[in-house]
Amino acid sequence: MPGVGAPLVTGRRIVALWFPYWAGETTQIPHDKTQSFALIERSKNAQRLVGLTPLAAQQGLSLGLSLADARALLPDLQTAMAEPMEAAARLQKCAYWLQRYTPWVGHNPPSDASHGENTDYGLLLDVSGCAHLFGGERALLADMQARFLKRGITAHAAMAGTVGAAWGLVRFGSTAKAKPQAWRQIIVPEGQEAEAVLPLPPAALRLSGGHIDLCQRLGLATINDLAGFARRELTCRFGPAPVLRLEQALGQAGESLNPCLPPPRFLVRHNLAHGVTQMEALAQLIADLCTRLAAQLERASHGAQRLDLALTRSDNAVLALSLPLAHPCADGAHMARLFEERLSRLSRGVDAGYGIEQLALAASRTAPIAQPQETMGAFEDGPRSKRRAVPIAALGSLYDRLVSRLGAQVVVRPVPYASYIPERAVKLVPVLAPDTQATNKQDLSASLPDPATRPLFMLCAPEPIEVIAEIPEGAPYRFRWRRVLHEITAAYGPERISPEWWAGLTGDTPAHHNRQTRDYYRLEDTQGHRFWVYRDGLYDRETTQPRWFMHGVFP
Amino acid sequence: METKPAAHIKTTTTSQKLAGLRRLVARFEPVVAQGPHIQTGFADIDAYLGTQVANAGLACGGLHEVVAARTGDMAAALGFAHRLAARFLDRPHTQDMLLYGQTHMACREAGQPYGPALGAHGLSADRLVYIDGARLPDLLWAGEEALLCSAIGCIVLSSWDEAPSFTASRRLSLAARAAERPLVMALGAQAGTSASAATTRWQVEALPQQGWQVRLTKLRMSHSAVPPNAGWTLYPQTMSQTLPLMERPAEISGVAQVRAG
Repeated sequence: MPGVGAPLVTGRRIVALWFPYWAGETTQIPHDKTQSFALIERSKNAQRLVGLTPLAAQQGLSLGLSLADARALLPDLQTAMAEPMEAAARLQKCAYWLQRYTPWVGHNPPSDASHGENTDYGLLLDVSGCAHLFGGERALLADMQARFLKRGITAHAAMAGTVGAAWGLVRFGSTAKAKPQAWRQIIVPEGQEAEAVLPLPPAALRLSGGHIDLCQRLGLATINDLAGFARRELTCRFGPAPVLRLEQALGQAGESLNPCLPPPRFLVRHNLAHGVTQMEALAQLIADLCTRLAAQLERASHGAQRLDLALTRSDNAVLALSLPLAHPCADGAHMARLFEERLSRLSRGVDAGYGIEQLALAASRTAPIAQPQETMGAFEDGPRSKRRAVPIAALGSLYDRLVSRLGAQVVVRPVPYASYIPERAVKLVPVLAPDTQATNKQDLSASLPDPATRPLFMLCAPEPIEVIAEIPEGAPYRFRWRRVLHEITAAYGPERISPEWWAGLTGDTPAHHNRQTRDYYRLEDTQGHRFWVYRDGLYDRETTQPRWFMHGVFP
Repeated sequence: METKPAAHIKTTTTSQKLAGLRRLVARFEPVVAQGPHIQTGFADIDAYLGTQVANAGLACGGLHEVVAARTGDMAAALGFAHRLAARFLDRPHTQDMLLYGQTHMACREAGQPYGPALGAHGLSADRLVYIDGARLPDLLWAGEEALLCSAIGCIVLSSWDEAPSFTASRRLSLAARAAERPLVMALGAQAGTSASAATTRWQVEALPQQGWQVRLTKLRMSHSAVPPNAGWTLYPQTMSQTLPLMERPAEISGVAQVRAG
């Protein structure tokens, strides 16, 4: 064959899994299983089928069919609105579960096809060197597919040396269009991708809809026809994509597979013969894991910045907890205490089900730490070293504990930001966020207002108030805020703050919706309460009916 | 009295009864230790505190409550609380942080602390750690944790509609005493006045022309632990200078008259 170069032995074994009825088979929406069922979605002014059960497919329905057409075929079709987010979340869970076969589980590779974006559910596993653990490649796939079948999920599987070949074979392979319930299992021996892939239709190359149409018009029915052309002719006619996909499928161009979780370097596991349900025992096991992990880290002179704990129940559900840390930590006792707090905070505790069978603790983000030098007794209470060392460590461990109980987004610190718009002049940044100093290097002094002209407390969002002013341009005379009427006795202002016209131009600062000039007033009412309010928009120039907002309070 | 306190109380008048009970309580309630103290920066308050305990101001190791008198006075109460916090942090040789925490309700109602304004109140934004909304029990837990941390110089917690129970306040008070670091609890008017083990309790009300009416309603510093009835009208300096309002009287000095002693 002229266009097909020598097949390369990739040395990889890739399993592509394809779930043609994933959304329909795994949905939690109750429906009659003996009848056809379809999930629909509104797109392009029509309701289209985006998920089917095998029964519905048997009766002649297909994805992308409009609901009206489907009803014409099957008047008693059950339907429900599709939940793409939930289906994707279930697929993610399934990906975690598949890590029992290999740590390298990834989602669908990037595809040029735009049609089946949210109806195509598949996963990819790199099982290089894993198959012998399950008694060979065929046994591995059979085991995998039998487990899916037991849960009522149709899973087609193909194993090949390249991502592209496995992807195409699982969708367009030889035993296609058989009985819908029967699953497909294709194994291509190493180096024989070309023989397997070439008879497939061009769509098996992850081509875009336009390319597939073009192939049809040109009468290219198989990849073999396509590969018959010289590469440069193909590139001239189709652009670079088909050639790249062809080479990737045949193993002549490399393609990486991103695992949905990178395998951690520091990982400890504990397998149990019998499931554990008691919290005390679980806490003890976690503490042991922490000690072991800390020893691993210490040997490598690393400290954990983020810990991930996965508890696998006997029914294969995985409870995952992750814990960010303020400073790289290799202290097992500290980690154990954080987990203890975290577990006690879970509103319903840990649902151990019939018992937790496996615990895995990983340090998913680490940083090298300097080993502290053992101080000799005589210098232990030297004032200088003590004062310097203690507060940072103490603050770090306090942050850890606060964040592990209250949440990372809650424990924050204000970081100034160069902006004239008051609510943007400061950002609340999580204390554990990496390097918050470098967010904004512009000269802050230019935009710093006199602190006394700013309210000590600013409302989370400006609240609209009803204002009566003597003249529309003047200061308020009285206003109603939170259903209380305030009579103003004194006012100072306005302080005019113009919108930042440059925001949104450079791309690094988001454009804020409000593009009107604000006039800020400091007000005091009869009871002595002091407010910071603003009029949104200049009267008569920007708006004829300016709205007023409460933005903050002075003490 | 030690042998038959009950019989003694029965035969006396109400005030004597109370005094007797207070003496009794004073025996098993630990008196504030001679830990570090600060001056509040308001001359009249400092003078008053000086008369109560010789050579002492506001105890660093203690729980101080600042209560808003009316719904709208929370801002004034928080302002006063931050004034105290700034004084606590202003002790020499400290680069300590201020932990400021609010309940969810306080965040919604009173707003968030605004960094650019902190400078006017003697605080600095880069020394602030802020808890942006938590349940009250979590907040109290955070306060107790922070008291154990040597890098936190002062803690201000704020709750809008819920006051800590007596047990909780006692716990915090003991922790603060042990750590010799202050915890200031700001409470909204809706939180109510429950029994508390606080060292001091201040009630703050906003006054026209940028003043505060501050009343000290509880002071647990001396053996007597007599509820004081002292009030002051304060015009904090920075505000009167930098907030010139249109219809103000001509002259208002920094600190005005003492109402009661």
